Amino acid sequence: MPTATPNAPTSSRSRTVRFAIVRCDGPGKPERTELFDVPVEPGANIISCLQWIAANPVTIEGVRTTPPTWDSGCLEEVCGSCTMNINGRVRQACSALIDAVSPSTTPPGPGGATITLEPMRKFPVVRDLCVDRARFFRNLERIKAWVPVDGTYSLGAGPTESPDHQATRYALSTCMTCGCCLEACPQFLREDKPEAWDTSFVGAAVISQAVLFNDHPTGATLKPQRLDVLSGPGGVNDCGNSQNCVKVCPKEIPLTESIGAAGRQVTVHAVKKFFSGR
Amino acid sequence: MSETAHEAPAKQQPFMQRHHFLLRRLHSLTGVMPIGVFLINHLLTNSSVVWGMIDPKAGKTGHGGVATFQHEVDFIHSLPYLIIIEIFGLWLPIAFHSVLGVYYATTGRANNARYPFQDNWRYTLQRVSGYVGVLFIFYHVATLRWGWTFLVPGGTRWSAEYAASTLAQTLRGHASGLTLAGVGVSLFYMAGVSLLVFHLANGLWTAAITWGLTVSRQAQRRWGYACAGLGAALMAMAWSAVIGFATLDPVRARLVEESLRSAHRAEPALTAAPDAAPRRP
Ligand code: SF4
Ligand code: SF4
Ligand code: FES
Repeated sequence: MPTATPNAPTSSRSRTVRFAIVRCDGPGKPERTELFDVPVEPGANIISCLQWIAANPVTIEGVRTTPPTWDSGCLEEVCGSCTMNINGRVRQACSALIDAVSPSTTPPGPGGATITLEPMRKFPVVRDLCVDRARFFRNLERIKAWVPVDGTYSLGAGPTESPDHQATRYALSTCMTCGCCLEACPQFLREDKPEAWDTSFVGAAVISQAVLFNDHPTGATLKPQRLDVLSGPGGVNDCGNSQNCVKVCPKEIPLTESIGAAGRQVTVHAVKKFFSGR
Repeated sequence: MSETAHEAPAKQQPFMQRHHFLLRRLHSLTGVMPIGVFLINHLLTNSSVVWGMIDPKAGKTGHGGVATFQHEVDFIHSLPYLIIIEIFGLWLPIAFHSVLGVYYATTGRANNARYPFQDNWRYTLQRVSGYVGVLFIFYHVATLRWGWTFLVPGGTRWSAEYAASTLAQTLRGHASGLTLAGVGVSLFYMAGVSLLVFHLANGLWTAAITWGLTVSRQAQRRWGYACAGLGAALMAMAWSAVIGFATLDPVRARLVEESLRSAHRAEPALTAAPDAAPRRP
């Protein structure tokens, strides 16, 4: 399969690519798919094409429609906000180059270059390609994904950190809460009722963040509380070990290692609780 | 902080949520012990219809496989309190593992079309093999152990005294040959045991992550090889057992068993004789 690297586009001339965008006017509104033909320059990405469509919101039938809505921020794959399903696979729109996603130079039409854009399916749609990831943030709160320092007085010098330990934690700290690992997870299902969030599966990113903060010398003070959540409903036991998460994570975070580590911590936690009675 | 905003007090939680951890881990544990350990023993016993043929001692009886299998079955049936072992060591753990397993499987939604990774296929196959496995085990135990012969083509009743011949007959559909329904039963056995062997091997692999035994990617890969090796060995046993019985001639097996029975009946007299007779100096 031909792939394009950022600086070496596979096509040197502009070509036309058809976009099939799944649209929705708001929560609870019906979905529809609209088709747009977009002139694509070498090196273009999904966001630049969406910008072109927003400026020329005319479908291939010549019907004028509303400009499609999407989220984006950094435009360099570090904020995670532009995550969507591109040709059926979840990834960031800003780093998805057209030449890599749809290398075909055949003009639009059957067999030609087509790119489908769909919102993430595991979160409620706000509008078009924008979704509401509140549940993800709620889950990070549940496992207390922070280091408890109130900052009112000096704690003195922090604990010494070895380069090895730092390297291990650094990998986990690169999570950008994009939600790819949740979108691709067969155990993470869409749940629109906030009352059900606290007993539904938290997903790989949140498990991995719990492991990250448990591993922090000061963050570890909250370890028992984190493990109580991780051993309960929706915790690490609900993972089905399909290992999709680790394969779709754009940051290549070793999520399955975090899941194994969380499993070990939860096992030890349960044994401790069994014998201490609390 | 409103961190308990949605948290229900512990006593209001439904049973499954209150005992979430215990039930999840008991489900995992029962799959290994006793069910997994039993499956290994069971396949070892039943494949004796094939490996028994290489035993020169048993070979003298006319069909070493039939003789060895009969020997193994006789041993199992000589165990004290067999019914207690069966109920508490097998039937209840299997029922527990099945009911919870089906419930847990409904908490996921397979997405292989979009994410056709090998690991993801194993995820789905683990659930499918669980469903088919439950049906297969139920059929297997109901027909052979509980005597629901109306589910057996040809209506053969399995008997521990004529273990190999009656088993071959239930698989083949008739004493004199393989019937069409017999082919169906044999294929169902082939699919059932293969899926269950996969279920055990893959379950052992995932259980190691769940319990936190394998954490690093390398450890998971290494343990994966071990599970694949065990799975391959069990698969060989499972297939040899099913093929061994599906191709066994019940009439010939019955003759071997009859001769074993008469030899056994004759045995007490033979062993008593040297004691009764005065020893030679
Ligand atoms: S390994 Fe677990 S968390 Fe990761 S995708 Fe599979 S079920 Fe989800
Ligand atoms: S773990 Fe990876 S895929 Fe999941 S939210 Fe973080 S960066 Fe995205
Ligand atoms: S805009 Fe920030 S990751 Fe795409």
